[in-house]
Amino acid sequence: MAENIKTIKEYEIELDQKKILWTLGYKKKLASINESLSQMILEEKARLNFLLQPAAIYRILDYEETNKHAIFQNAEKVVLCICTIGPTLEEESGRLMKENEMLRGLVLDALGSEAVEQVALQSEKIISQESKKLNLWPSKRFSPGFGKWDIMEQQFIFQMLPAQNIGVSLNESCMMIPRKSISFRINLYKNQSMGRKQ
Amino acid sequence: MKENEIYEKMKKAIIEGNKDEAERLAKEALEKKMDLLKVIEKGYVQGIQKVGELWEKGEYFLPELITGAECMKGAMKILEPGLKKAKIKTQSQGKVIIGTVEGDIHDIGKNLVASLLAANGFEVLDLGADVKLERFVEKAEEAGADFICLSALLTTTMLGQKKVIEIARERKMRERFKIMVGGAPVNQKWAEGIGADGYAENAMAAVRVALDILKK
Repeated sequence: MAENIKTIKEYEIELDQKKILWTLGYKKKLASINESLSQMILEEKARLNFLLQPAAIYRILDYEETNKHAIFQNAEKVVLCICTIGPTLEEESGRLMKENEMLRGLVLDALGSEAVEQVALQSEKIISQESKKLNLWPSKRFSPGFGKWDIMEQQFIFQMLPAQNIGVSLNESCMMIPRKSISFRINLYKNQSMGRKQ
Repeated sequence: MKENEIYEKMKKAIIEGNKDEAERLAKEALEKKMDLLKVIEKGYVQGIQKVGELWEKGEYFLPELITGAECMKGAMKILEPGLKKAKIKTQSQGKVIIGTVEGDIHDIGKNLVASLLAANGFEVLDLGADVKLERFVEKAEEAGADFICLSALLTTTMLGQKKVIEIARERKMRERFKIMVGGAPVNQKWAEGIGADGYAENAMAAVRVALDILKK
């Protein structure tokens, strides 16, 4: 495995209450939320420090090192990244659901979804800053299973990164374990307009 | 307090998602030696049905729906020993085997469906996530189930739903069970294409679809 593999473990995760409520189904009527639900979200948020183990691992590849999939075409370099919040939150959410604390489990799961999204966003930002130091322009981030990048391409990402270093594995269906994990690629271009096109 | 007033309070506790009150009233029903079947049908069931209606109208959201189901489950747990003691068999809507198919460890959606089916009078046996495909049919046969509910959250695992139907067919058991499918990549067209009996896009729809199948 190449030496240019980097790990990030420092994140400041701030969760937006509105996004949590959106995940829980409140698309419009935010005013109709009852106090006990707001209280429950606050209580579960307060426990997150013990439930999150945010981490990411990434690697910058030359185009020649990729599997030359069409989605990498014209890129000078490609960044592959895997992010996670670890297994504890989803274990706790599962435990709550089994104990007829379904809503609390669901709230925790929604917080987890938003937390891993935050980890991905912050990782993307770090990668973008690094790419600018290389005088390259980053595309947006794309994950396998979206657009023209088949979910089976997860296997390529996992071949290129020692995901076990941050406790993430891939099952035979190309699903990441822990579930609250995100993998993505960012293409880096010499030309700014190419980065924007993607 | 008149019995009808207690039923009304039970209904209200479910609608308002007041678990403590729903459980307190269940204890009161046991102490007062009330007719437990009436307690369930005229009180709690009315409440959970109303919650479903409010959700369908868009007045309630997922949290209220789930809280209603939790309240129902909590009250039923308290009533259970009394029901057993009096040898009262509540009318089950049907026996359901549910799980997320092999290779897929997503279980939130499946848990919601299981919880709402149980709250609406179905007997639910939850096999969990990443369930071997043959196990669905084997367990359904063993339990004498009416329904098999299959959840899949990935395009790579939804094929498992098709395979379970094929397994049931190969074992000449297809007609014994109604098979329902759901999950993010699944839709009505897929359900029809693989020969499923029903598709539900969310947990409440699963209850409605199951009840509709029973009416046919």
